[in-house]
Amino acid sequence: MSRQSSSVLSPYGFLGRSFIAFERVANSVAGHAGQIGLLAWHIGVACVRLRVSRRDIVRQLNIIGIQSIMIVLIAAALIGIVTSQQGGYQMQSQIPLYVMGSVVVESVILEMGPVLTAIVMVGRVGARITAELGTMKVSEQVDALISVGRDPIEVLAAPRVLAMIISMPLLVAMANLTGITTGMLSARVTLGLGQETFFYGAQLFWHNYDLLYSLMKALVFGVAIPLIAVHMGLRTGGGAEGVGRSTTHSVVFMTLTILVIDALFPPLFLN
Amino acid sequence: MSVGVNGSGAAIEYRNVFKAFDVPVLTGVTLSVEPGEMFALFGPSGTGKSVLLKTTIALVTPDRGDVTVGGESVYFGGRDALERIRRMVGFVFQHAALFDSLTVFENVEIGIPEETLKLMGANEVAHRVSESLELVNLDPKQVLDKLPSELSGGMKKRVGIARAISGRPEILLWDEPTTGLDPVNSAAIERLITQLSDELKVTSLLVTHDIVGGLEMCDRVAMLEGGRLRFCGLPGDFLASNDPVVNAFTDRKAATAALDTLEIT
Repeated sequence: MSRQSSSVLSPYGFLGRSFIAFERVANSVAGHAGQIGLLAWHIGVACVRLRVSRRDIVRQLNIIGIQSIMIVLIAAALIGIVTSQQGGYQMQSQIPLYVMGSVVVESVILEMGPVLTAIVMVGRVGARITAELGTMKVSEQVDALISVGRDPIEVLAAPRVLAMIISMPLLVAMANLTGITTGMLSARVTLGLGQETFFYGAQLFWHNYDLLYSLMKALVFGVAIPLIAVHMGLRTGGGAEGVGRSTTHSVVFMTLTILVIDALFPPLFLN
Repeated sequence: MSVGVNGSGAAIEYRNVFKAFDVPVLTGVTLSVEPGEMFALFGPSGTGKSVLLKTTIALVTPDRGDVTVGGESVYFGGRDALERIRRMVGFVFQHAALFDSLTVFENVEIGIPEETLKLMGANEVAHRVSESLELVNLDPKQVLDKLPSELSGGMKKRVGIARAISGRPEILLWDEPTTGLDPVNSAAIERLITQLSDELKVTSLLVTHDIVGGLEMCDRVAMLEGGRLRFCGLPGDFLASNDPVVNAFTDRKAATAALDTLEIT
């Protein structure tokens, strides 16, 4: 066996390469996190200095919030139905059916509503923001903005981030309501569970804090998604291929970030 | 135009500018453009002409060196100085770089500095936008409400120029304004550059591959090659130069010969 091939197969060589790859990924993540932190700081400063146009925020609220309502509600309706159906299947003849109310309400409010709404928003809004800003970057529109003395953070980034922060909790609230409603209707149609029984079960395990927890998640997702999307868009280079690459990376980062935040929430806020 | 702090009085002064991306692009460029002058910068593709132009208003930051505009340092003068410089300079981008989601009116309006906009009434703004469009030979009534996607390539360039002049700058930077245009549109844009420089009394720095047009229009010309200044002088001297690289840009036969002897990529 040649020296090269033995090095390839050696466990030490493999460990070394894995360590180097890990270090590279860790450096990259730390670099992105630092730049996103700076971006958030600059947006905060722009807001405090009232440098963000209200007209731009309203325009983005329409694109990000209002135009997302339909897809979010459809996703939420399906989540409610699926939760109710699968819950019913698992509980058949084992657990009293009224527990279904709690299963649907708690699943939708604590997890499904915020997380799946966030995933929908990653695809519908996050990818759009990265592609839009990336295209503006490679076609020199961002440079043009700077050349006329405007700050891209104030003009492009801040309105999108603010609109998303405002929209997300509202969308999640609507998604929660829709998911619970369709879950309840589905339970009635397929399991014969009446509305009163459903809500009786829901009340048994209900905490008012759950609603706050759901909206807190929505708010954090509402901050994370546009920050990553804007950051990835404004660092795009390399023409159309670069825009595609940035958008793909952005969607991957946003999705992973949502899942990581989702995993951190219970130990931080549910104990 | 204010006189430079160094007493040179140059409208734009590049001092030993270095810039590298993956490879060195600018390797110590020193050049000055005088007030009211029309100055053309020639050179092979990828030699850093546009990069040098962009360092004028900090769209690209040099690794070393400095640029002064109207005597103020772009990189050591602080944020306020940079904002003043950007208000003083209009930049015409190679592909117009119009904002896709904004109408022609909004695209031109955004060229007016925010401080000026606050002092202007709506009618005044509308008048300034229309006037800027008329200066570039566009009929405001026909184009004001259109989106960039509804305009031809030549019209987009004109709207890009209208945006650059709507803030009434003292200096205009032109990044290959005729690239991608047919000969008739190219000639029209060149005439426009001369006309605007005369009417608005601005200093113009023009990056172009159009040697004939550049030599006709400009008071002085320079040539960048390999990240360095290869030539700087009068158009007549450029034409009379014995430098084979300079000749390669003025004479097609010399260009063909240069391909065999010089490292021009």
